[in-house]
Amino acid sequence: MRPLGKAASDDDRPLIERVRKGDQDAVRALYERYFDRIYNYVYARLGRAEDAEDLAIDTMTRSLTRLDLFQDQGVAFSSWVYRIAHNATIDHYRRQGRVKLVSLEHAPALQSADPSELAVEQLSNQDLHTAIRDLTDEQQQVLILRFFQDLTAAQVASIMGKTVGAVQALQHRALGSLERALQGRAVN
Amino acid sequence: MTPEVERLERLAERLRAVEPYMPPPGAKIRGWNLVLAAVEQSTRARSRVHPVRRLVLATVAAAALLVVGAVAASADSLPDSVFYPLKGVLENARGALTFGASDQLAFHLELANTRMTEAQAMFARHRVDLADQALSALDDQLNDAALVIQAEKESDPAVGAAMENRLRQAISTHDAQLAGLQAQVTNPTAVNAIMQARDRAAQALQTAGKPANGKGNSSPSPNGQGSGPANSPHPTPKH
Repeated sequence: MRPLGKAASDDDRPLIERVRKGDQDAVRALYERYFDRIYNYVYARLGRAEDAEDLAIDTMTRSLTRLDLFQDQGVAFSSWVYRIAHNATIDHYRRQGRVKLVSLEHAPALQSADPSELAVEQLSNQDLHTAIRDLTDEQQQVLILRFFQDLTAAQVASIMGKTVGAVQALQHRALGSLERALQGRAVN
Repeated sequence: MTPEVERLERLAERLRAVEPYMPPPGAKIRGWNLVLAAVEQSTRARSRVHPVRRLVLATVAAAALLVVGAVAASADSLPDSVFYPLKGVLENARGALTFGASDQLAFHLELANTRMTEAQAMFARHRVDLADQALSALDDQLNDAALVIQAEKESDPAVGAAMENRLRQAISTHDAQLAGLQAQVTNPTAVNAIMQARDRAAQALQTAGKPANGKGNSSPSPNGQGSGPANSPHPTPKH
């Protein structure tokens, strides 16, 4: 069900040290460990395979050729890679003129829809992906990282530069917004 | 659990069940080739800089090691060592940073001891010329000590007298050592050098005993005929 490989963790350090010493096998190991995850993350954000491929490759290239910068970040390598992917996604949005500035939470509520009538189990993956992409940037990020990438709240907090409590609150709001977005689609 | 929380939890479970998008194999291979090329290029760029950095670092490290090693080596060096001039520089620097009559006296007496050790070593190596220089330097230190005492006596006679007593004891010790040396050497030049050194030491003690305006009579008497300490008569040189 989840062929994304191991969850990001701190045991990347031995590999990173080997990469710094020019060990190509270690470069390959880190690439294998993160490429699918980053591709999946970017695809979930953009919804286009071609863009996801380019941004995933760009993210991995930046991560593995700028390890000297990573040394000073004070975060796990996995968090650093996800941050690079996130920034690449934001840059892509900007180039495409698709920056979302208004949260759906602040959008007019869909009073006609009854959330309890939403048949969650019948929603297609495509419906979910499309609805997620209508959320705010942070809401998309927290849902994708928590549920598509299977990361813990602490890992997501590290990536997003927030506290665990803030991530949990954001996750709750994001699920609520997603539910309303899905309900709105069902009504329309 | 409230109905809202239950609904959101169901939605979360549904999200967890979404199959992940996986990159096509071709994309992964293409990505690896591009990443590998970028990493190799980055490594080459770094290695182009490295030789220069390595050279600079190596030079700095070597220079630092050289300085530290030279300083360490000079501390115990003898007059026939290449490091000996550095020892003099370091001693001068120490002297410039020594303040207070008592500390200055201690400094000069310590250097006098050092010169005595050097003279003994040079005699042992049959380097009479260097031994003679060491003895001259020894007497210079004693004379400097005497001048410090003279000045101190003017400001505080009691302290000056105590310092004079320290100088007297030091000179007495040196004289005993020089007498021992004199008994061991047979070279007339060496004997003469030792006798002159003992004379100059005795004159330094006299200088310390005089008032400050009476100084200036600290030059060594020729041929060891000066007046030495009463308790350290010069022995007749062996021939």
